[in-house]
Formats: sequence, structure tokens, C-alpha cells
Amino acid sequence: CPNGSNSCQVSLGDLFDRAVRLSHYIHSLSSEMFNEFDERYAQGRGFIAKAINSCHTSSLTTPEDKEQAQQIHHEDLLNVVLSVLRSWNDPLLHLVSEVQRIKEAPDTILWKAMEIEEQNKRLLEGMEKIVGRVHPGDLGNEVYSTWSGLPSLQLADEDSRLFAFYNLLHCFRRDSHKIDNYLKLLKCRLIHDSNC
Amino acid sequence: FSLNTCLVNGQPPGKPEMIRCRSPEKETFTCWWKPGSDGGLPTNYTLLYTKEREESYHECPDYVTGGPNSCYFDQKHTSVWTIYNMTVKATNALGSNISTPYYVDVAYIVEPNPPVNLTLEWVGQAYASYLLLKWVPPPRADVRSGWLTLEYELRIRPKEEPEWDNIFVGLGTKYQLFRLNPGIKYVAQVRCRSDRGEWSQWSSESHFQVPKEFKLKDIIVWIF
Repeated sequence: CPNGSNSCQVSLGDLFDRAVRLSHYIHSLSSEMFNEFDERYAQGRGFIAKAINSCHTSSLTTPEDKEQAQQIHHEDLLNVVLSVLRSWNDPLLHLVSEVQRIKEAPDTILWKAMEIEEQNKRLLEGMEKIVGRVHPGDLGNEVYSTWSGLPSLQLADEDSRLFAFYNLLHCFRRDSHKIDNYLKLLKCRLIHDSNC
Repeated sequence: FSLNTCLVNGQPPGKPEMIRCRSPEKETFTCWWKPGSDGGLPTNYTLLYTKEREESYHECPDYVTGGPNSCYFDQKHTSVWTIYNMTVKATNALGSNISTPYYVDVAYIVEPNPPVNLTLEWVGQAYASYLLLKWVPPPRADVRSGWLTLEYELRIRPKEEPEWDNIFVGLGTKYQLFRLNPGIKYVAQVRCRSDRGEWSQWSSESHFQVPKEFKLKDIIVWIF
């Protein structure tokens, strides 16, 4: 492939196809992981009521219905996706190590945590490529939410510790769903002229 | 005498219970509750809710659209990725009773309407014959903008047999089915789901009879 030739470049449509396939996969894994955890450790503990207003990414403004998602400029929506993805780098890394200490954690949860961490990094790389292509020069100015939940995953009290895991998995399920949904909207808007 | 008082005056209402919520297209949703006993008196129900990141309580915007004992949230009142905390309060002349709080996020209650226009068409070609099944997404689901992405599942059986054969299709809206038995009548249905949510009901049945005689046509191979 000659240097600087455009013919070797992957098309934007293909980049979006790959990104959407990844985001779809990550969201499937995170829903399964949440459901498994919920069934096994959270029954009857009333965690959902405590999980209100507790995601570290809730400070990021993200569209919450179709109208909002359609009104936001595509460059801004791409930046939203980048910010949310970046906000999960750190917590996912810790999730992988801490989840191994849950008593009798089934292999399927361990495996999913590792797979999600890995695939999330790949998706972030892919999104940086897409953003670089759609609006070159502006790499989303590195906005993300910091996470300070590590001590809560290591609490001695079992109920509090299980809630911390529940909450993290609940928040990631939500955010991975948002990312997947926004990417599917962007793909239809930018590649298929809003006619998927 | 207390029994007598009860009979004459009635009782405060029993505790109502939220049963379920459903969104057909991730743009609106409806929740239903089961009333407790009415205590023998006219009883009024109010649904109050609050949303994540909001302090205040609101009353149900529409008690009519979803039928009895329901609350309908139109587009203006529907947010996704937000936990709604809901309670139903039953009130009559002698007092009131309130349901246990119910928590719901619209992202996880999406159950689309069934797909429509399932057609079965026999395609006889030189190299293979097959049944082509095609369908259309449910009319209210916005798949064109990408807001909803639907996955489909088909099921098919010979008309005279009870056992369905399920086929997971994934994202497409058509499917080629090979290896059907000649002369047999088949029944097929299709359903859909969004983002790993609940499956829709099955669509109405479509019928098809496979032609009695179909054979691979002779293929002539020229060897030089």
C-alpha cells in the first residue's frame, strides 16, 4: 500500500460497522453480566432503590430520549460517546481485578469482566479513528468523568461491597446501552442518510 | 358492634400493587397496577412518580390511554436511562393506602409490537429451490433512524404437526429456508426484540404449501 494513498483507507461506513458490532457485543455482555450478578447476589436486598443517582458518569450530559438524540449535532454526539467510553477505562480495569475476590464468583462473570475491559479499549480506539475522520483535529478534548469507587469495591461489609459491584454493573449496563444506541443513530445518520 | 360498622361504613382501601410497565418503541410507556380491595366504597387512585436527578414528585400525566388501572407516559414524559420511582395511592372516604415503591428504567421494559406482513414465497431456481420469508418491522418502531434495532426470530411447522421449529434470524428482515418437504403445508410466524429486551408477541400466522414436485434441474457441465 503506497504511502498516503487513500485507496487503502477503511471507509467510514466500515469503521461504523465495526464499531456498532463491538458496541452491540459489549452491551450484550454487560446485560448478561448484570443479570447474572443480580440473580445471584442481589435478590431481596433492595439495591435498585439505592442505585438512584449513583453513576459516576451522571455528570456527563447525554441525550435521554429520541428527540434529544436527534437534535444534538453529530460531532457533539460523537464526543459524548468518547467521553462515556473514556470514563470507563479506569473502573473496568479495577472491576477485572476486584471481581475475582467475590466469594464463589462464577467463571462466567470473571470472563465477561475481562472480555468487556478488552473490547471497551478496542471500541475506544475505533471511535478515536472515527472522530479523527469526521472532524479531524478535534479529538474530543479529553473530557471524562473520574471514578473514585475503588474503596467501595473493597469494603469489608459484605452487603455494602455487593452493592458497590451491583451499582457498577448497573451503571455500565446503562452506559454501554447508551453508547450502542448513540452509535446506531450516528451510523444511520452519517452513513445511510437517516434511512436504515 | 364492629362488624356492623364495617358493613354500614366500609373500610379504608387495601394496598394497591404495581404489576408491570411496557414500552413498545422506547418512546412512550405504560404502567399497570392491581387495585387492592376498595373497602366497599368508591375509591380513587393516583400514581405519583419521581425520576432520577429530580427532586419533585409528579402525578401520572394520563390515566385514560392505557385502559383501567394504568398510567400512560407520552413522549414528553418519557426519558430513557433514568430510573422512575412510582407509587400508587388508593383513597376512599375512610382513608388511604399506598403501594410499595416500584422502580423502572424504560431501557429495560421495551417489548415491541409484533412484525407485520409476513410473506412466504417459493423461489425455484436452477440450482436450488427454497422458501423466501419476508416481513416488515412493527409500524410504530422507528428503525430507520437507528433509535431501535430489532432482532428477529422465526418459527415454522408443518400444518399437521404441533412442534415448532425456531430459527433465530438476527438483524435481517428476510430468510431463505431450504430442505422443506414437497407437497406439505407449512405455518410460519415471526417475532422481534430490541436490545436484548422482551420478545414481542408472535405475528399472525402465514401459510404456504410447498409444490408437490420440485427437483434440481439437470445441470450440464461442459468439460473441455
